[in-house]
Amino acid sequence: MHGKELTEHVVFGLGWIYLILVVMNAAWTVRSYKSRRHFELPEVFGGAEVPTAGIWAAYTAILMMIATAHFTGASNPDDFLLTMPDVIRNWINLMANPVSFFAASTGLFCLMIMFRRWLVQDHIGWLLLNASLVFTALSMTDYDFRQIVGKPDNVPIVAMLFIVGFFTWLYFKKAVENDDRIDQGRPLLEQENNEKVLVWPDLVYTELICMVVVTAGLVLWGIALQAPLEEPASSVKTPNPSKAPWYFLGLQEMLVYFDPWLAGVVLPSIILVGLMAIPYIDFNKLGNGYYTFNQRKFAVITFMFGFLPLWVAMIILGTFLRGPNWNFFGIYEFWDVHKLEALNNVNLSEYLWVYSPLNSMFGGLPTAPAGAGALEGAGYIFLREGLGIVLVLMYFFALPPILAGTVFRRFYLRMGFLRFMVLANLALWMASLPIKMVLRWSVNMKYIVAIPEYFFNI
Amino acid sequence: MASTSTAWIPVRCVGFPLLRSRFLRTSWFRESRHSHFQPVAHQFKRCQNPRDQRSIRVRCFGKARTNDSFNSLLNRRFQRFQMAEKLSTSEILNQIRSSGAVGSGGASAAPSGDAAPSGDAAPSSDAAASDATGSVPTKSKVTSAAKAPGAPASVLDSIRAKGGGVAAKAPSPKSAGDAAPKGASSILDSIRSKGGSAAPASKPVAKKPVPSKPAVPAGDLPSAADMLKAARGVESGVSAVAGKTASPVKPPAVRIKKPASTVKTSDRRSVAVAVFFTPFAMAWWLFSAASSVFLLGCARFMMPNVLVEPPTKFKIGPASDYPPDTVSTKWKAARGVWVVNTDQYNGNRLIYALASVCTHLGCTPGWLEGEQKYKCPCHGSGFYITGINFEGPAPRPLERVGIRISEDGMLEVDKSKKFQEEMGQWEDPASYFQVG
Repeated sequence: MHGKELTEHVVFGLGWIYLILVVMNAAWTVRSYKSRRHFELPEVFGGAEVPTAGIWAAYTAILMMIATAHFTGASNPDDFLLTMPDVIRNWINLMANPVSFFAASTGLFCLMIMFRRWLVQDHIGWLLLNASLVFTALSMTDYDFRQIVGKPDNVPIVAMLFIVGFFTWLYFKKAVENDDRIDQGRPLLEQENNEKVLVWPDLVYTELICMVVVTAGLVLWGIALQAPLEEPASSVKTPNPSKAPWYFLGLQEMLVYFDPWLAGVVLPSIILVGLMAIPYIDFNKLGNGYYTFNQRKFAVITFMFGFLPLWVAMIILGTFLRGPNWNFFGIYEFWDVHKLEALNNVNLSEYLWVYSPLNSMFGGLPTAPAGAGALEGAGYIFLREGLGIVLVLMYFFALPPILAGTVFRRFYLRMGFLRFMVLANLALWMASLPIKMVLRWSVNMKYIVAIPEYFFNI
Repeated sequence: MASTSTAWIPVRCVGFPLLRSRFLRTSWFRESRHSHFQPVAHQFKRCQNPRDQRSIRVRCFGKARTNDSFNSLLNRRFQRFQMAEKLSTSEILNQIRSSGAVGSGGASAAPSGDAAPSGDAAPSSDAAASDATGSVPTKSKVTSAAKAPGAPASVLDSIRAKGGGVAAKAPSPKSAGDAAPKGASSILDSIRSKGGSAAPASKPVAKKPVPSKPAVPAGDLPSAADMLKAARGVESGVSAVAGKTASPVKPPAVRIKKPASTVKTSDRRSVAVAVFFTPFAMAWWLFSAASSVFLLGCARFMMPNVLVEPPTKFKIGPASDYPPDTVSTKWKAARGVWVVNTDQYNGNRLIYALASVCTHLGCTPGWLEGEQKYKCPCHGSGFYITGINFEGPAPRPLERVGIRISEDGMLEVDKSKKFQEEMGQWEDPASYFQVG
């Protein structure tokens, strides 16, 4: 079924993508040849020394053949064989759910930090780039994938993925290099390659050229990809799915787990204020003006965790994996409006009063008797939500001192009370997002404190 | 740097040379072919007003060595720049006139003597270099600065040199040694060294170098007493100089500054004048008043004359139009309500109208017949046919709107009334119509 939607245009276009890959890899082969790197074949194959460039040359040749196959086979797209195998498609669709997505993004994040030394080698970076490009090209043979990725709205997001990946890699490359230099007592990268140039003309000319190139690119983009205009807006008709601008998709994902005023007002404000507060709570004087990881482990990991798994990954989730009715869809899955997902959510108070032995003792949620005053009603609400309120208060007021005494003892001593409390609260707010997500997924927790009477839910 | 950590910056003194050096840094000025013009106007000192013993600031405007018109133009610009610190009109006129007199009358316009052209500054800076530190780089910098007096370095250096020169033995290692006048710290140092230098000059009998008072240890805030002392030292020291050299010709811009610290009763009226009756204050008051009126006028738009909205009360036909266990979506597009006929809420067969607004963030959910639920496309909230929320982030059930059977037997929906389940309002008979 999937192969049917392949069209001549798609196959032809993919041929061009592979051709670009051929050119890129040919250049890389030349680079590799000039570097004269060799590696030994395993004993099975004779153990001879082979130049690395040979491998890249072979890979380039294969790509060339693939590109040729696309150009020649474009006339008969129904019988085209170079598509994403159904096995992989089904497996990825099967694995696709918010839990595995979040676990995978967090796991990748940890792996990236643990194996950064391996990651920053040039040929590994090049391999990863190739792998992602080939994966994208293969996936483009799938109809549903094309529908999502090919939307004019989503093109910049695809570009952003590669840009974020590249700059993260670049950071780690420079940081690892500098960390090595610091260990060996050599001067830093920034000190050694400190070539000062003049603002005029060197910098200004560069900026001018960048300006012209970017403008031209935007104009071409605007001509090539039409803006997706829709019917006139109506207050009673909401598009399905209804997506925020791509840069706010992280916020929209937060809104799935939190009350509007929390996810829409409080958390964004805390993010902004927290980012502004970083220079004031940062007591580490190292790493100023040069790339480093080892000297700023806490700062880098904390920021990157907030940025990569909690923001960029949420943008990816919202863009590519959320479909109609805000259900979760795999990247090769048909966007079925009637996809059924059991999402029965339960408040903590209901767990306590309804789904526990307390139910038989007290008969469900404590509710104010009819005709009770506002004060009495508030008392019943506090009784009902007492556990949640205590838990939330403990989270924000008991945890920081505990952290100060145990895990972050060194931090507390160096930062002093006020700065540490600011840091701890910001960190706790940041942690509240994954905590709530995990609670929602694991025990269908809707709200820890649920007081809909006063529009207060946590 | 030790000196950069000093937090105390006497704004009144420092802000001014900062502006100046910024001004001088413009290439227009520095690279001018008329570099023989001497911008010595930076040399200001505190003097003592013989009348009220208060600190006054004497601004000594430079004179041009030559008489060419470009220089006088520059001179005037320079003065106008300095007048950023509120001079009265008469004072400004006075200055311009006096500078004109300088151009024609020769060397008489710098009555305080400190404002001498660079020929004066060079020897004193040399003296400073040799006296205070004697370090070679400082000296070379100073002399080079004397050659190009327009540069900020020279300005600062000459200030510094002057300070050092007056204080023969004043130990100001920070100011002289730290030659590069890059930031506020160096300027601060120069000021401070001047203060330090002035103290012994005022009391030559004591011959005490007063080493520690003005040159505060880095990072410490000087005590109020120290500050006062330093200031007084400057005043008295300079006044001696100024008194000696004051020429009877024409005093240039002399402005009396009242110390802000002592507010006397007689000043109260002037405070009122400052708050209400200066042109500046009046302009602000007028502006505030106009803005307030404008904002109030904007509030008027909250009550429009004509409201282009469908009426909140409308007939939806007889009850027989809504068969049991159905959700009618025919009023959703135009009026934003579902009309529901169900017995699932409390066992009674009811017809009621639900507002099609999600209680999470206000999107419009859709009714899914197959799943028998309302489902919101924005964040995935789901509601049963009754309107009770059960999935997604929506914190409370959908809201009912008013419904009644009207006099002609038709059902009439009233969207101006809301009934919230969690508030127990669904018990209200106005929120439903019981069938049979």
